[in-house]
Amino acid sequence: MKKNKKETFWAYLCSAPSLLLILLIVVFPILYTAYISFTNMNVYHWFNFSFVGLKNYKDALFVFDSGFLAALLRTILWTVLNMVLQLVIAFVLASLLNIQDFKGRRVYKTLLMIPWAMPGYVSILLWKNGIFNSQFGLLNQWMQKLGLATVRWLANDVSAFLCCTVVNLWLALPFMIMIMDGALQAVDHSCYESAILDGANWFQRAYFITIPAIRPIIAPSVLITVFTTFKQFDVVYLLTQQAGAKTGANIHTILTYAYENAFITNNYGYSSAVSILIFAILILFSMVTSRKAKEG
Amino acid sequence: MTRHQKRMLKQAAKQICLHILFIVICFVTLIPILYALSVSLNADNSLVSSDFRFIPKNFTLRNYVAVFTEEPVMLWFKNSMTLAVVTVVISLAAAIPAAYAFSRMRFKGRKPILKQLVLLYSFPSVLSMFAIYTLLRPLGLINSKVGLILIYTGTMAEFGLLNMKGYFDTIPREIEEAAEIDGASGIQLVTRIVLPLARPSILVTAVMILIYVWNEYLFATTFMTGAENYTLAAGLYSLQATEMSGSWPVFAAASLVVSLPILIVFFAVQRHMTSGLTAGGVKG
Repeated sequence: MKKNKKETFWAYLCSAPSLLLILLIVVFPILYTAYISFTNMNVYHWFNFSFVGLKNYKDALFVFDSGFLAALLRTILWTVLNMVLQLVIAFVLASLLNIQDFKGRRVYKTLLMIPWAMPGYVSILLWKNGIFNSQFGLLNQWMQKLGLATVRWLANDVSAFLCCTVVNLWLALPFMIMIMDGALQAVDHSCYESAILDGANWFQRAYFITIPAIRPIIAPSVLITVFTTFKQFDVVYLLTQQAGAKTGANIHTILTYAYENAFITNNYGYSSAVSILIFAILILFSMVTSRKAKEG
Repeated sequence: MTRHQKRMLKQAAKQICLHILFIVICFVTLIPILYALSVSLNADNSLVSSDFRFIPKNFTLRNYVAVFTEEPVMLWFKNSMTLAVVTVVISLAAAIPAAYAFSRMRFKGRKPILKQLVLLYSFPSVLSMFAIYTLLRPLGLINSKVGLILIYTGTMAEFGLLNMKGYFDTIPREIEEAAEIDGASGIQLVTRIVLPLARPSILVTAVMILIYVWNEYLFATTFMTGAENYTLAAGLYSLQATEMSGSWPVFAAASLVVSLPILIVFFAVQRHMTSGLTAGGVKG
């Protein structure tokens, strides 16, 4: 009993600095955000704000024009689209890299890691200014060469959404390829040999042997990537709506939506309510997935 | 042709196809970076002309000189360095003992706190930015490096704790128990056994924190005003070309200058990257 108490004391002493920092910078702001979410704090009510109960939550959830539900649906579409493309492309590329006797794969692997190593915001701004810019972007230079009219890629909702998807894939694929590549190397090769003897083609081998074998290995990383994709902010924000440089497309995800309501339209109470709703969705989602992980 | 030769030929053809495929894939992947490189080195500055080439006809370093002479890049570099080093030191100093405690010691409140930490980790810091702003403002910590360091260390202490705790869990306890039986004291146990064993994870965590601070632009631009306070990220952000302006070659040069240190650091520790990250189960 006494030893137990001593250990508890030491454990808390060791973790006190960390926990205090987290309390101050992570926990307290979240609690404060929750507090603001019940008020009408905005530019006109900086100090003399008053409590409005659940009004902000009602506005977000039941007034469709508010844009929150649209942003939520768009974010779900964004996550599904990105994850499907990422998994398929990464699987194909990692499989090709793992073809036996393929010499020089290390060089290609290293080259394909570069987008991961580059600072994310730099890459996004390079894409924005170098590729998608309507005046001197590479894409429009090519369009002109082909005799086509130039396009303002980021001004239209659909094309801006696709541009964001391309950039996000570019940023996220290296990590996924690495994970798939590592998992593929762990697959037992003798399984393939007997499958080839039985006359299984590439798709059959992938579907019946490779995918079941790598699934448990890549599952944690895939789950983490689902979360990061759902919470993606930088790509959409930097490409289409950074302060003073909105491109005209309206493709808010829930995070950029919350940000805009706080820092552009200064509707703090409402933005805080949206933030808390997003947090609730994330908690719900992680509880469901962790239960599934335990069952599986 | 014998059957053997035929097979050899088929093999070689397959190899060549693979190589061509991957050369194309790598080239397409690297287009944004190669394009920036070529624009930054091009003396003609023929931005709108349609005869763009990846290898410029006339080389120049003018844009790079402009980055260092016309913009206070060295000052931004110093700011970024200060923030990064201080953040790495403080958050590691806070997170290593905590990660060890949560991995090795059994105490009241361990499980619930861990569960809360994992949930809190899923909260994107963008969402509490406004709350942090209103909390730091009365303390005079807006537009100050101390404020930014506080935000960074708080965010990274959590990442470091969870990431390194996951790694500590993979180190077998038996090693420490054996050392204890051999008469190692508590401090010896930590400095001689635990820290050396955890080195890959500490290294990766430190690098991740460094990269995080280096790449963080949102807090750095929202909370800091005035070019003398900019970090590299904030400075580059302020340099970017708008749809109309033509500072794009200088911006391209600056982008590559800012990225180079991170690229070097990344590839230096790349070996440890996946294991150091996935063992902890959190990605920065």
